[in-house]
Amino acid sequence: MIMRVMAAELLKIRRKMIWFLVVLGPLGVVGLQAVNFGLRYDYLTKQYANDLWGGLINNVTMMMVPTLFMGLAILASMTAGIEHQTNAWKQTLALPITRTQVFTGKFLLSVLLLFCSSTLLIVGTVGLGAALGFDLGDVPYKHLLELIYYPYLAIMPFIALQVWLSVLMHNQAIPLTVGIVGTVFSMFSNRFDDWMPYKWPYLDNAADNPLFSVAAGVVTGIVVLAAGTLNFVRKDVK
Amino acid sequence: MNNWILQTEGLTKKLGGKAVVNDLNLKMEKGDIYGFLGPNGAGKTTTIRMLLGLAKPTQGRIRIFGKDMQKERMAVLRKVGSLVEYPSYYGHLNAIENLEAVRRLLGVPKSRIDEVLSVVRLTKDAKRPVKGYSLGMKQRLGIATALLGQPELLVLDEPTNGLDPAGILEIRELIKSLPREQGVTILISSHLLSEIEQMATRVGIITKGRMIFQDSIDTLRERAQSKIRIGVSDPEAAWKQLLAGGYQADWDRRKLTIDRAPNETVAAMIASLVKHNFSVYRVEEEGASLEDIFLDLTGGEGSL
Ligand SMILES: Nc1ncnc2c1ncn2[C@@H]1O[C@H](COP(=O)(O)OP(=O)(O)O)[C@@H](O)[C@H]1O
Ligand SMILES: [Mg+2]
Repeated sequence: MIMRVMAAELLKIRRKMIWFLVVLGPLGVVGLQAVNFGLRYDYLTKQYANDLWGGLINNVTMMMVPTLFMGLAILASMTAGIEHQTNAWKQTLALPITRTQVFTGKFLLSVLLLFCSSTLLIVGTVGLGAALGFDLGDVPYKHLLELIYYPYLAIMPFIALQVWLSVLMHNQAIPLTVGIVGTVFSMFSNRFDDWMPYKWPYLDNAADNPLFSVAAGVVTGIVVLAAGTLNFVRKDVK
Repeated sequence: MNNWILQTEGLTKKLGGKAVVNDLNLKMEKGDIYGFLGPNGAGKTTTIRMLLGLAKPTQGRIRIFGKDMQKERMAVLRKVGSLVEYPSYYGHLNAIENLEAVRRLLGVPKSRIDEVLSVVRLTKDAKRPVKGYSLGMKQRLGIATALLGQPELLVLDEPTNGLDPAGILEIRELIKSLPREQGVTILISSHLLSEIEQMATRVGIITKGRMIFQDSIDTLRERAQSKIRIGVSDPEAAWKQLLAGGYQADWDRRKLTIDRAPNETVAAMIASLVKHNFSVYRVEEEGASLEDIFLDLTGGEGSL
């Protein structure tokens, strides 16, 4: 059944600029690094001389997390907005599908779209490195995949939160504000201890083990998703 | 009494402390076109939301196809099609894509899309984005969406609201043709009696959250008894004269009104007026319309 819900969700986001944004995010990050490395090619290649790929990947991922925070808020808002526009909720929820399926569908849609963005970023990073003349035989794939998919997993609570807020509120100004403020806040989150969820996607923790941040993110993500679902199931629909 | 296709028992919804729907016992038989009638704000949409599981009743029970709505919601909704308040659609998609989005959830064959499009006569415009449709076309797409799952019960909340007369006629003809062609039972709400009158077989009238009439349309028509109006000099004195003679009558500044009565009684009343030197100018029969009855029942809060 959830496959049917996803099939319907994917149909509904046609011609909505959503796929464009999915591509724009990673393209922007890679593009900025292209400018960065293009302008300061000699300086940066000297600085990262013994690990060119590592240097590039670090620069990419530094920009990736705030972009991910921003992107997930926009995607959650746009995908919920499709239903808000003509209050299609009442049509969908009067169909023989459970509210849990509808809410989970919206969550999984954002998860899927951001997965596409993250994967594109991996491809884009390798492409940029190749264009900069780095040796394609030396790409540290394990390191690259970890540094991109781990933050993506650690950011789950915020995907669930933004989907919840965007679905709950007709006026998308509030969820978007939460998303923007959260993005900025996350950039200063290293001042907090490891309990701070905004810090998790940066994979920075006292034990110096990124998997702790990933685990905290995934578990909390499931908790927030469950709380959102419970709230959605009980709500009367206009 | 178990052949009701839809039945509510003491259905109540409180919003902001106020009972917006109050102790409603709605009953529909298979094959009915049930006209759910009431002025704006009477609680029609709120009732329909509860019937579809969009809102939870504060009190009371809903049984559809003999099944408890609370317990077997999925099984019930599989056989219900609905259009609540105004049509919901995805404006950036065309009609086929809109129907496909719902079809994927229902899991019915793809051929249903063409079938329902032709029922509502949107086949020609099916490839245009829906945001460019007229309200009547959007309304028809809403009905097509409601028909997609081959429902046994169709719930339409004010499907002609906001349409021009041609659009209203079109939707009405479409709805009237459905029970024959698709074998469905229909609940249709409206604040316009004139509209319901032309399609309903059963009528429920709701005002201020309470059901004040529920029966066949013919029973409602029987209530539309005619009155007799008498134009007479000095109506007040004439009225007193009639009362003194043991007759029932009402008066205002210009005329007397009496309820329908046997011919002899009317003749005797006129004779009595003439005998007492009142000038009788006119004796007219005044047929009370259903509209008058509706206004009467709803305390003047009706429509048109
Ligand atoms: N959230 C709410 N809080 C309080 N009253 C409400 C709310 N929503 C609707 N109402 C009231 O409920 C009544 C019934 O509304 P509705 O069911 O839409 O009527 P109808 O569809 O018959 O026009 C109206 O008087 C409306 O003001
Ligand atoms: Mg209404």
